[in-house]
Amino acid sequence: MNEHSRVLERDKLDIAEPLSDVELRLPAVLPRESYPIETLTPDARQQTRAVGQRVTRPDGRLHGLGQTKYIDDLSFPGMLYARIKRAGIASARIKRIDTSAAEAMPGVMAVLTGKEIPVNSFGPSFQDQPVLVDDLVFHAGDGVAAVAAVTEQIANEALEKIVVEYEPLPAVLDPVAAMREDSPKVHAPNSNIYATKTIRKGDVEKGFAESDYIFEDRFSTQMIEHVSLEPHAAIADWDANGRLTIWATIGRITLARADIARTLKLPMSRIRIIGTIVGGNFGGKNEISQEPALALLSKKTGRPVKGVFTRGEEFTSTTTRHPIIMDYKTGVTNKGRILARQIRLVLDGGAYCSWSETTLGKACILAPGPYKIDNVLSEAFVVYTNKTMTGAMRGFGAPQVCFAYESQMDDIAKKLGIDPLEIRLLNAFDEGSPSPTGQVLHSVVIKESLRKAADRFDWEPRS
Amino acid sequence: MKRRGRGIACMWYPIGFTVSANPSAATVKMNEDGTATVLTGTVETGQGSLTVLGQIAAEALGIATDDVHVVSADTDTTPMDTGAIASRTTYVTGNAIFLAAEAAKAILFEAAAPMLGVKVSQLEAKDRKIQVKNYPQRNVSIGEVALRAQAVLGTPAIGSASWNPPTVALDPETGQGKPFATYVYATQIAEVDVDDETGEVEVLRIAAAHDCGTAINPMLVEGQVEGGISMGVGMALQEEMLFDANGRHINPNLTNYIMPTSLDMPEITVDIVQGFDPTGPFGAKGVGEPTAVPTSAAILNAIHDAVGVRVYSLPATSEKVLTAIKAKRAAEQKQIPA
Repeated sequence: MNEHSRVLERDKLDIAEPLSDVELRLPAVLPRESYPIETLTPDARQQTRAVGQRVTRPDGRLHGLGQTKYIDDLSFPGMLYARIKRAGIASARIKRIDTSAAEAMPGVMAVLTGKEIPVNSFGPSFQDQPVLVDDLVFHAGDGVAAVAAVTEQIANEALEKIVVEYEPLPAVLDPVAAMREDSPKVHAPNSNIYATKTIRKGDVEKGFAESDYIFEDRFSTQMIEHVSLEPHAAIADWDANGRLTIWATIGRITLARADIARTLKLPMSRIRIIGTIVGGNFGGKNEISQEPALALLSKKTGRPVKGVFTRGEEFTSTTTRHPIIMDYKTGVTNKGRILARQIRLVLDGGAYCSWSETTLGKACILAPGPYKIDNVLSEAFVVYTNKTMTGAMRGFGAPQVCFAYESQMDDIAKKLGIDPLEIRLLNAFDEGSPSPTGQVLHSVVIKESLRKAADRFDWEPRS
Repeated sequence: MKRRGRGIACMWYPIGFTVSANPSAATVKMNEDGTATVLTGTVETGQGSLTVLGQIAAEALGIATDDVHVVSADTDTTPMDTGAIASRTTYVTGNAIFLAAEAAKAILFEAAAPMLGVKVSQLEAKDRKIQVKNYPQRNVSIGEVALRAQAVLGTPAIGSASWNPPTVALDPETGQGKPFATYVYATQIAEVDVDDETGEVEVLRIAAAHDCGTAINPMLVEGQVEGGISMGVGMALQEEMLFDANGRHINPNLTNYIMPTSLDMPEITVDIVQGFDPTGPFGAKGVGEPTAVPTSAAILNAIHDAVGVRVYSLPATSEKVLTAIKAKRAAEQKQIPA
């Protein structure tokens, strides 16, 4: 018997039965306090030359007073709380999911599995990510079932009652090993290399032949989580007219609506996405995650359903920054001019594409650095592994390649006895320089930025 | 003992991203009292984008930031937007809002020209007034014009527009093309102390000089730079998601996934490099992502300068730095002739 029918049972009882403690309590409300709201407006907000003003943010006061309404602050009558059961195994076939014990729990209103999702795949470039896995598990953070209950605690307890039987499959964890022909395939029968990019300009071999010195190094970076203060959160409300409203912490509502329309087979006119004030994104909230599952739970129960990820889920089940293995070969003259640069990047894409294709492109294009180099060959590969998916994160591959090209730049400067600032000024783009893709660059101020930072730092030349 | 070092790193970064199109659309509605409401499909994710977008609308309409209210992020009511991604909001959404404001302003000018007895081409919007260029004594308040346009002429001043950065698709073979409309540039210089007995690195100060074209709001640019540097410090020295041999994440919590706190932050100076991009709104480009790009490179170069070791894999944890120092010492000892 679930909570809903129990309430109906109780309504039939004799009026003389005493009310329980819970029923006697007042609803929990915050004490009302008056805040010293000043009407003084900072002058910058009143200036009629608005651009260039150090204008304060209108949302700043609300943040400061704790009055900003994030998803977790929103509540609707009858709202349920959803939690998602995570696989906890990196690669497996699901043999059986038994949700009956969870469904029988008082307070559990609905359970959802991947088989119930109309189109169980999404993704900004390739639709390779299931909302909830229904056959194969691709990484340990995958969701296998979702529960909606009257409290978050009951939903958590219900997850423990869901029984999933797995047949473990070999997991591919190392991106370089994943590139080999004989490696197990994450998304069989497709190759683990799911996107590539090449930028070719001039002739690197000729450039290396003309160089006085050749530098060859391998750099690598780690997987990083965005760690936004506010976790991924959403509320879905499927109303009686079959119209769906979703409040979500998504930085891209236009794309989110398209993805939700696809997964739920709904016309876009029946979907409303409201982007709430987001407590940090940094690229981590650029696609849907639990929203279709919440929507279907709401449809099943006729109630609004809220889902808020735990900090653990933020790490295991949302996108992260790509680890990249970066091979750099650079040819320079004895005066320090870079003549040729060959780069090979291997991006660990994790279990799903997400924004990897875009990250791959940016990393490949930016990898030679902000320098005038006539001969460039930059090749990049992104590969599937059975790990948390990597995707958009502040810099889209650029912090990784910057670490590589700037580390090697200092090694070149040291070897040639040139000051690190000088060697950068010698090679940096000018106005009108061609980029590695042959684009004529405009509004180029790289040298000004080098000089400005050096002035501020009191940089003393030394070689 | 602690050894001090300095390291420099510069970078370039594109504004917008590499797909065939990444447009933004916007609507600017003039209210009858001379204030304005902006509709945009972008989302405020903490960076202050709605403030900057309001400033762009205000500047175009000749009114103050306080006169503009920005409504955002509702697929039922706001125009499409590619989203708060790729450092594109100020540049792409900003251009759409600028064009929408210009369209609303054109309606105001049509209403104001007969009021002032001049041609539309002679008008400008400034200081909450529609006035005659080079003869500002002849003017009428923008609220009066907006009210007249709506309530007398029946032409409410509402403008809608969209903008998409001009790009050229890359050749699939060579990758040649124009993938992005514009780029920004930046340099960061870090000063660190490295303890050569423990490998511990302390970042003391960072001088950051960033180009963002015109800084629509210098205070928010500084905020972005400081936030980006905090992410760069974490990438350089601390943060790493670790997996066991079976592919299970072993540190999915803030106890074991170490990230910088305010105590780890260096002293930061921010310089905004003078720049102007004719393709951006009032010359603006963007600044969000680039702020996190050069930090780790600058810190790693500073470690190299301090103790003479190159760490090739991030993060440069104390263990890695100490291992590299020990390896260097061992190599140097071997070179001493017997």
